[in-house]
Amino acid sequence: MNKIWLEKYKKEILGKFENKIDKILENYNELHLFLKNEKDIPEICNYIYNDLDTRLVTMICTDERKLGNGFVIRHVFGKENGEDVFIFVTLKITDSILSYPSIAMAVPAATLHEREIQDMFGIIPTNNPDTRPLVLHDHWDKDVFPLRKDFDLNTKIPRQEREYSFLKVQGEGICEIPIGPVHAGIIEPGHFRFSVMGENIINLETRLFYAHKGIEKLAESMKIEDVLLLSERISGDESVANSIAFCQSIEKIASVTIPKRAQQIRTIFGELERLYNHMGSLAGISSDVGFPFGSARLNILKERLMKLNESLSGSRILFGVNRIGGVRCDITDEDKKIITESLESILSDFENIIILLNSKSSFIDRLKDTGIISKQFAQDLGVVGVAARCVGIGVDTRRDHPYSAYLLHRKETPQEVMQHEISMQKRKGDVLSRFEVRVQEVRESFDIIRLSLNLENDGLYINIPQNLEPFRSALGYAESHRGQTVHWVMTGENNSIFRYKVRTASFFNWPIIEQAVLNDIVPDFPLVNKSLDLSYSGNDL
Amino acid sequence: MKKKSDKEILGNGIETVRDIDNWHISSNYKGSISFNVEPFNGNTEQVLDSCPTRALSTAKDDKPVTISVDHGKCIMCGYCSQIAPEFITIQSKPASPVKLKKQLSEYSNSQIQSEKSFEEIGNELREKIKKMFGRSLAIREVDAGSCNGCEIEITALNNPIYDIERFGIHFVASPRHADVLLVTGPASKNMESALLQTYEATPGPKIVIAVGACACSGGIFGDTYATTGGIDKVVPVDVYIPGCPPRPEVLIQGLLLAVDRMITNGI
Repeated sequence: MNKIWLEKYKKEILGKFENKIDKILENYNELHLFLKNEKDIPEICNYIYNDLDTRLVTMICTDERKLGNGFVIRHVFGKENGEDVFIFVTLKITDSILSYPSIAMAVPAATLHEREIQDMFGIIPTNNPDTRPLVLHDHWDKDVFPLRKDFDLNTKIPRQEREYSFLKVQGEGICEIPIGPVHAGIIEPGHFRFSVMGENIINLETRLFYAHKGIEKLAESMKIEDVLLLSERISGDESVANSIAFCQSIEKIASVTIPKRAQQIRTIFGELERLYNHMGSLAGISSDVGFPFGSARLNILKERLMKLNESLSGSRILFGVNRIGGVRCDITDEDKKIITESLESILSDFENIIILLNSKSSFIDRLKDTGIISKQFAQDLGVVGVAARCVGIGVDTRRDHPYSAYLLHRKETPQEVMQHEISMQKRKGDVLSRFEVRVQEVRESFDIIRLSLNLENDGLYINIPQNLEPFRSALGYAESHRGQTVHWVMTGENNSIFRYKVRTASFFNWPIIEQAVLNDIVPDFPLVNKSLDLSYSGNDL
Repeated sequence: MKKKSDKEILGNGIETVRDIDNWHISSNYKGSISFNVEPFNGNTEQVLDSCPTRALSTAKDDKPVTISVDHGKCIMCGYCSQIAPEFITIQSKPASPVKLKKQLSEYSNSQIQSEKSFEEIGNELREKIKKMFGRSLAIREVDAGSCNGCEIEITALNNPIYDIERFGIHFVASPRHADVLLVTGPASKNMESALLQTYEATPGPKIVIAVGACACSGGIFGDTYATTGGIDKVVPVDVYIPGCPPRPEVLIQGLLLAVDRMITNGI
């Protein structure tokens, strides 16, 4: 499958850094480089990021002191555009040093990861320009590192009194507007601090992690089947995407291939999830510009889709669809009929509403040129999903790293590829282009579901081995409606989980909102926020 | 695309549920778990162990063994019914909201459940709200670290299908305007003080409703370094709504219970 690319990159990297690399291992589409010396991180990461043209996918830290490896940090880079490869840059950090050189200056997307590792493991990234705490707020003790193995899950830490230092914008006529964590609407908790000049936003600083529930630590104490339930609840509206990603990594560790039918059903539910959430975001955009009629109509469609979810899976938000090795809900011939019929009526209603919305100049006016993202920022911050596609960065895990049954739905003819390319180049990164991308994706989802309904008959699941090999790891990934979600699992002894690292799309997409709202007026913030549709819970874990 | 007439583009007709019977809960829906009448004689340990949230428990010296379920913890994963399908089944009827935490546990499936439709409950609620407040009931929603599943269902209350505003219930932007706090999530440590401050900012008389398994008991997130294990560890809770997430029909039952409670407590 992807062995050609692995070989190619292995050769290229070895040719350049042979004396700096201890060994190279392969694991599915992952290429693991083990470094000899931590000083070489910036140079090698820089080469992989810039010269090999990859994106930072995630950074994973593990506490392997019991295994005699100290702490291990893995920088994960991913290729796009047809080359299905992930490159892991791995190095061990001994107990006595507890620091490593930061790559934040060269790879800006790494900043937040390094701050997260600093909070959770107490390992200092030297030269990272921002050393403020991220996950653990000011009331946490400074010497608490929850993801270290010697920290007990149930420890209760007494509150401390300290203050978080926000960026101060000073000058005549500058006001500060603090918002949250309890918001005016029915949304999740997060704090936003605006500095405004008149009505225009000069600076926005987001402070998140209010919904931090210790998911990664909790997973280490749970049975593998229970972690599946936990992965569904990382972000309630991304339940299918996150559980697919988790199942994938376990299935890779167990070296099983799930039946074709299960892959198709996963694809169908993944797209149903995208549909109802896109309907919800489009409705939100409509209500945030003050056009409740449009939002009411779209919410009706969202409710119908949730009804469909309920009749297919027993849960209105698709909890309990996946199991390790396959799926738990079948799609019968009767269900197929229901799906086809309801989707047909929903699609025709949807097209009507879009005609209506496009014809309202007051609606389009608010969307146009609001919340513009620049392509450079989006690239630097590693933005994924709709937020990336709205500036013409064509990242889509369904195409770049095909999983489930998505391989079947690639754009095939040269004309289609060309048209897709042209439409990508036209996108400007404002709310309107995000609106259009969503509308387009809704239509594509309908098509994908229709194509996938031609189900194979080879069973719903495959049993995985009773005992998983300890200390094996694999990457699982999926494209949620927000973008790429990546899960990395390392098994422990006795079928436990040694480390569960989750990076949802929201983690990469949150920083872009600080750029998107600059120079917009404060009342546009809800609109920009809704158009990016970010999950707080998926970010905070 | 063919040109469509304005009427085609504009109208759906009335979408709001008037009669719950025409918009019934799908028979597939995972509402709550129920026990069959015969005493259980399988491997009790195995069944109890299968529950990821420890919602199942058994009284020690009971012969024959009875298993009880705490609906405030149950997340309807169905693992227990996979192990003992002849004894535990998942029914489409959701568990009802209750006033006291201990009422969330049930030994057999004896709880009286409301057979009223969404519309009937809504109208009853409107009458009571009118009697008590003269006009309407104001709700402030607080997310104390939920996974946003409960938010989806609470948002659904406002859509044209359920349209809760027609019963005189509306969501307000500030706790200072609110009569009811609708709290979701396991109360994460980082939200603890914000939740407390929101509670303090709400003028009395006030009602706190814990929405969903996480808010009732910590749910799957439990009681760890980062969570407090339920809203009632932080603020006093008046009504518990079980479910993961509770569907809109159950949310409105919970609101009715909350208003009832305000009436019996005589504000």
